[in-house]
Amino acid sequence: MSSPLLAAVSWTVPTVDYHGLAPEIVVALGLCVVMLVDLFLAERSKWLLASLSGFTLLGAFIPVLTLALDDGGARAMFDGRYVIDDFSLILKGLFLLAGYVVVLLSTTYIEEGEYYQGEYWVLMLSSILGMMMMTSSRDLISVFVALEFLSIPAYMLAAWRKRDAKSNEAGVKYFLLGVFASAVMLYGMSLLYGVTNSTLLSDIGASISGELTAVRIIAIVFVIVGFAFKVSAVPFHTWAPDTYEGAPTPVTAFLSVASKAAGFVALVTVLYVAVPEGSDVWQPLVWVLAVLTMTVGNVLALRQTNIVRMLAYSSISQGGFILMPLAVAAEGGAGGAALRSVVTYLIVYAATNLGMFAVILTVSRKTRSGEISSFGGLFGYAPALGVVMTFFLGSLAGIPPLGGWIGKFSAFQAVLEAGTGWAYAIAVIGAVNSVVAFGYYGNVMREIWMRPVPDANTMPIRTPAQLVLALAITTISTLALGVLPGVALHFGDLAIFAGAFAG
Amino acid sequence: MLVNQFLILAAVLFCIGVYGVIARRNAVMVLMSIELILNSVNLNLIAFALRNGSADGHVFALYIIAVAAAEVGVGLALVLLVYRNRKSIGLEELSEMKG
Amino acid sequence: MSPFLRSYLTVVWFGLAAFLLGGLLLWLASLLRPVKPNPEKVLAYESGVNPVGEGWSQSQIRYYVFALLFVVFDVEAVFLFPWATQLERYGSFGLIEMGVFVAVLLLGLVYAWRKGVLRWV
Repeated sequence: MSSPLLAAVSWTVPTVDYHGLAPEIVVALGLCVVMLVDLFLAERSKWLLASLSGFTLLGAFIPVLTLALDDGGARAMFDGRYVIDDFSLILKGLFLLAGYVVVLLSTTYIEEGEYYQGEYWVLMLSSILGMMMMTSSRDLISVFVALEFLSIPAYMLAAWRKRDAKSNEAGVKYFLLGVFASAVMLYGMSLLYGVTNSTLLSDIGASISGELTAVRIIAIVFVIVGFAFKVSAVPFHTWAPDTYEGAPTPVTAFLSVASKAAGFVALVTVLYVAVPEGSDVWQPLVWVLAVLTMTVGNVLALRQTNIVRMLAYSSISQGGFILMPLAVAAEGGAGGAALRSVVTYLIVYAATNLGMFAVILTVSRKTRSGEISSFGGLFGYAPALGVVMTFFLGSLAGIPPLGGWIGKFSAFQAVLEAGTGWAYAIAVIGAVNSVVAFGYYGNVMREIWMRPVPDANTMPIRTPAQLVLALAITTISTLALGVLPGVALHFGDLAIFAGAFAG
Repeated sequence: MLVNQFLILAAVLFCIGVYGVIARRNAVMVLMSIELILNSVNLNLIAFALRNGSADGHVFALYIIAVAAAEVGVGLALVLLVYRNRKSIGLEELSEMKG
Repeated sequence: MSPFLRSYLTVVWFGLAAFLLGGLLLWLASLLRPVKPNPEKVLAYESGVNPVGEGWSQSQIRYYVFALLFVVFDVEAVFLFPWATQLERYGSFGLIEMGVFVAVLLLGLVYAWRKGVLRWV
């Protein structure tokens, strides 16, 4: 029995917009080149690979800029399945720059460990390529493929230190929970396809309206649960602290910033384009997730003694703040403000958190310890690092005029714009949590400024050039975003997705 | 057409898979349970494609099969790594980090 | 009965026929053959070699890389089939796309080769 399906589908050669795809093409070519060069390169010149990956990412940034300056409006390919608009360009830029900083952070770390080199860069680049594809995907299939494309290399990166039991454990936990989450999400997606007969997000958005049947509710809930794992929202966060602690520190920086941001990008596209009419289902769900995420993340962060583990919980609770405006995004005119706040928060958070990890990497090169107490008296023997770390801690806590406050400000602004009882309630919970967060950020600041050096070893810290560059980029961005809030808000000021939240 | 039967079968497979992921304490068994969920998704997609008369479901299923193969490749390699270091693939023994 | 289910009826008939035929032949053979068991005869037959050790044994770990390679390349081939059925329709565009796809796959093979995975140890 031959299938009548294929005969009925008419097919024309799709037009491929090579300018629009240029950033992805550059990264894809770069990753193939890095892989080949690694295979035929002598052991002593492996350092070339780090520079090659860095240049690939910077090279891909150029077409992002030319696309941003081009006023042709959004470019859509394959019947709107792949869209290059302001939203995707800004986030592509964010992923490329964050990736570049992570490459800087990894260089010395990878060179000094005795672990394989070439594959590290290949995996890192493929994960970044997946994130870039995610920003443009407007179809269930491409969202799924992009999500796996960015996750599968990340599983391997988390288990990078092959002979270290902790790193193994980090990789296995991340892998099993990540794959389980995407399987559950896929089940939801298959139901979405079933009830709407389309995998195109905007078609799904047009079909899902009116009465919400049980199948639709299950579909939406499953899809959101899948993404909740990715952004480590409580109660789907259990993998995050262990993976962050066990993975190599530059990989942790990558996961907690880029991978998380990619999860939010996917969540936002699906919520805004595919199921805006299902807000009766997902608003309460996201509300509960956001409240739990910030509260539980904060409370558990208070009792940590390991700095990376503390940052893991802090990053969970920051994720709650990013979710917060989404919980009321469909109320009144809050949709645009919520989108702006998510993008702004992601940019600011990326700059701050990457900087935080840069400091930790630099300091732990000397102290060889991950305990918070090992930062005691940092200001005494490394004043510059002490000051910079204080900046980052302050920014994470949301103290003006550092970058973090503009993220929190826009999140609260979006919530208040919605103006419903639920919105005010979550705003109050968020405010309480911001205050609680001072507890653990302040604790680290106290170590840096007031405590004695634990082992009285006050040798100055030697900072390699790559880490200096990474610290400079992140410090300047954190300060600039805070002092000039207009810049960050301008980036977030996007034309809302076509078809989302009509009226 | 027999779409409902396929959907019920898929739902049953999905539930068995979820139960396996939650209840099993052996990494390979958990991996197999996840494969079960993915196959239930494929079944769903094919059944819907049959009912709706569109090819999208088939394409989606093909992609899921390919990605699942890549996942299993990585997953088995990770399990092997753990086995080499610990001589065991029990998940309850993976408790180096707590809190 | 729907025509869809009826098409599966053939499978059922074939399955029944296979079982009946197999059962019949075994039953006939048991009627004809003499039965004289002795210890040597009931030993498990292993290509003429006396069996040693347990029936359950671990297989060599080095096979797993081949298994993984096979799984990945085998499954990627699934994308070639839809293209092959509509070869003329997709024309040169499809040819170039598939060329890129196969080139990337080949990259994986080159990687495996350079890492010495393909060599038998």
